[in-house]
This record gives sequence, structure tokens and C-alpha cells, in this order.
Amino acid sequence: MLKKTLELLFNIDRRWLFLLLALSIFIPIVRPLGLPNKNISADVRHVYEKMNSLPPGSFILLSLDYDPSTRPELHPQAMALVRQAFERNLRVGVVTFIPGSTGLIDEVFSTLSKQYNKVYGKDYVIFPYEPNIVAVLTQMASNLYGIYDKDKYGNEAASLPVMKGITNYKDMGLVVDVTGTSSIDIWVQYAGDKYNVPLAAGVTAISQPSYGPYLQTGQLKGLIGGMKGAADYETLLNAPGKGTSGIDALNLAHILVVVLIVFSNLGLFLVKYL
Amino acid sequence: MKLIKKQIPFAIVFVFGMLTLVSYYVPHPKSVAFLDTVSQWENIVSSFAFLLGLFSLFYTHYAKIKKKGDGWGYSLFVFVGFLAVVVPAIVSHGRQMSGSEMTPLGWSFRYIYNTLLATMFAVLAFYIVSTAYRSFRIKSVQAMVLFVAALILILGRVPIGEILWGKALGWTGHSLSGLMNWIVDVPSVAGKRGIMIGIAVGAVVTSLKIVFGIERQYLGKD
Repeated sequence: MLKKTLELLFNIDRRWLFLLLALSIFIPIVRPLGLPNKNISADVRHVYEKMNSLPPGSFILLSLDYDPSTRPELHPQAMALVRQAFERNLRVGVVTFIPGSTGLIDEVFSTLSKQYNKVYGKDYVIFPYEPNIVAVLTQMASNLYGIYDKDKYGNEAASLPVMKGITNYKDMGLVVDVTGTSSIDIWVQYAGDKYNVPLAAGVTAISQPSYGPYLQTGQLKGLIGGMKGAADYETLLNAPGKGTSGIDALNLAHILVVVLIVFSNLGLFLVKYL
Repeated sequence: MKLIKKQIPFAIVFVFGMLTLVSYYVPHPKSVAFLDTVSQWENIVSSFAFLLGLFSLFYTHYAKIKKKGDGWGYSLFVFVGFLAVVVPAIVSHGRQMSGSEMTPLGWSFRYIYNTLLATMFAVLAFYIVSTAYRSFRIKSVQAMVLFVAALILILGRVPIGEILWGKALGWTGHSLSGLMNWIVDVPSVAGKRGIMIGIAVGAVVTSLKIVFGIERQYLGKD
């Protein structure tokens, strides 16, 4: 009897599983569980502390290389980083090597610049999309205006107040690459290692374990990983956002995956030996 | 013909390969200026590659529509998608916002590109759950080790994992985050570092083979 029931369960229509997943994501979004996020990752804390250690007026460069496919994980990270930069009165420059990220960058700054009364050109600048990251990173080492002579809106970049005293990596307090691609490797090779640029990163949860070697050697000062990383950063900033609100859905979906794996293997074991 | 197809391209690759390689290690103003110029050229050439890719894509899908090959209807959407982004981009002069107003490009980005990409990626979650249920079968000791590591990482990534661990296995004195960090920092980093070193050595060897003309496949067959 049990064997038959289990065999029936193994042939269940996959759409029931899809429904279960959809519910496990929708329900916590509609009715948040509010579970506390107590364990802040040390790597996330390092990024936060590095940003906090920069004196007001320092220039940070954000390389925002993600598109809507990785938006749920990376957009909250970018929002949190810009929020902290604006709170600490840091100057922010933004570059991107993904054409699909331009709209998301606009979204970050149109929201936060109003909230913090920041002025384009004085407090932050957005550079246009460039297709070849290696060429751009090499060029920025000597003179970034060789590539970015104009900003996204066609203004002379060197004449903008936000760029005062900034020529190359040596003038930057920190570079943070928020990416769903492998661009961190290129940043480490062509900027971080060669020119001693302090480098940190934000990545999707799936690629987070890949960057362990860079963290251990100090080539990355810190790492924000996935939606949990975004939630950690928001907790440190005391500014709950999409990372924090998404963590409940993540909780249930992860638990569902674990339960399904355990259940299916237990079932297989029983079917085999019953 | 051989001069144009083989010897001149090889000479260009050799000269630029050697100069770029040497310039990387020589911080002389002339080598810096050379690297700057080459970087700008590289960026411009990359932009032209987009154009080439676009023509190739259009040609392939146009041919499919003309022949009415399998799934030719989907090929129409390549052109529809292209026009749905490029026409608003031209009309909006590449701007997504005009003051507080959303331009046609902004609308197209938010309600077409954003939505389609997000949907495509979101569908993956459903396949992962279905696969987790059907395919993650523990049939050997190795599979068991993989499962235990995956279980710790999956639970360690979410706050509820720590809560459940505390209730069920808190008596062991080991925290879930501690275990997760050990897996990530020791065996995972060791494996990843080995892969990185292997890739780096392979890349150096391949690059040198190209620069010295031992590897010439990029020149084409004839």
C-alpha cells in the first residue's frame, strides 16, 4: 500500500510542484513571516566597513553589470551601496559593461538622488555603456577620460564637479563591481592586482562560492552574495528594502527544495526495500 | 593570396601581441600611451563586432522566414523585438527618462525588456524544484557527500536554516554558518583555486601559441 502510494507520488504531475513553489514564494510576499536576519556575513560586513572608513568626499566607482534577469538579487545590493555612499557624502561614479543594465542604473539614481538631495554632476555621474571591459579597465589605469571623455548625457566628463581630482584608479577610494557575470575576474586582474585598487564585489548567490580565493588573498576586500547579502547590507544600514522583504520567500523556497530532495530520496529507499 | 590571408594577419598578431605583452610589464610613458591607443582601438573594434553580429542574426532569421523552416514564426519576433527597442531608442535619443517623465525607450526597457528577461529567469526556479524532486538521487557515497554539502549550503544561505539547525542540532555545539563557512573556505576554495590555476596556465599557453603562430585556426581553413 505504502509502496504504491510512494510510486504514485513519484509520478506526480510536475505542475503540482510548480504550484507549491509559486505558493511558497507568493505567500511570504503577501504576508511576510518577519524572521530575524541575525547572522550577518563577515564578507558583507567588510564591504560595509570599508565604505564607512572612507572620508566624506572620497570618490567610489561602481561597476553595475547586471540586467533584469539577476535584478532580484543584485538591484537591492546596488541600492544599498548607493544609499550608504550618499549617506556618507561620498562621490559616486558609475560604469557598466552590460547594455541591459542602463535602465536599472537610472532607476537606482532617480530614486535615491531625490531621497538624499543629490545632484547629478556634483555628487554622482553615470558613464555610458562600453562594450569591451578589458580595454576600458586598461585605459582607466592611466587616464579614464581617454575612454570616458563624455558622461552618459554628453557632458564633458572632466568638467563635472564630481570628477574634480579624479584621473585614474589611484584617485579612487574603492571600486565595487556588482555583477551577474564573471567581470570580477577582469577587475581583479586588470585593476585590483596591477594598480592596488581596493576592490569589493556584489554577486548572485550561485556564483558566490567561486570568489573564495580572492577573499582569502585580500584581492577582494569584501563580497555581498545574493539576496541574503543584500538583506545583510540593509540590516547593517538599518534600511530594510527589497533584499529584506525577499528573504522570507527565499526561506520558504529553499526549505521546499530541501524537503523535496529528502522526501524523494527517502521514498526511493522505501520503494527499493519494501 | 597567401600573403593577404596568412602572412599579414599573422604579422599583425605577432607585433601587437608582443608589444601588448611587453607594455603590460614596462611602465614607461611610451608603453602606457601605446596601451591607451590599443585599448581605444579594441573598444571601437568590439563595437563593430556588434554590428557584424546583428547582420548575421538578421540574415539567419530572414533566411528561415523565407524558407518557412521549422519554427519560422519565432524568427519574426527577432525583428519585432529589435524594432521594439531600437525605434523607441532613436525617438528618445537614447534617454530613458526626460525629467520625471518616462520616455518611449524607458517604457520599452521597463515593460518589455525587463519583464521578458525577468520572466525567463524566474521560470528556472520551477525547473530547479522539479529537478530537485526527481533527479537528486543519492545512489553512492559521493552523492551522499554532495547532498550533505548542498544541504548545509542551502540552509546556511537563509535565516530559517539557522533557526531550524539551532533547534535540531544546536546541542552539537557547531553552528550552521560555521560549517557553511568551512565548506566554502576550505574544500570549495581548494577546488576553485586549482581550476583557476589550470585555466590561467591554459590561457597563457594558448595566447603564446597564437602570438607565435603555432595556433592558426583563427585565420580560417584556406
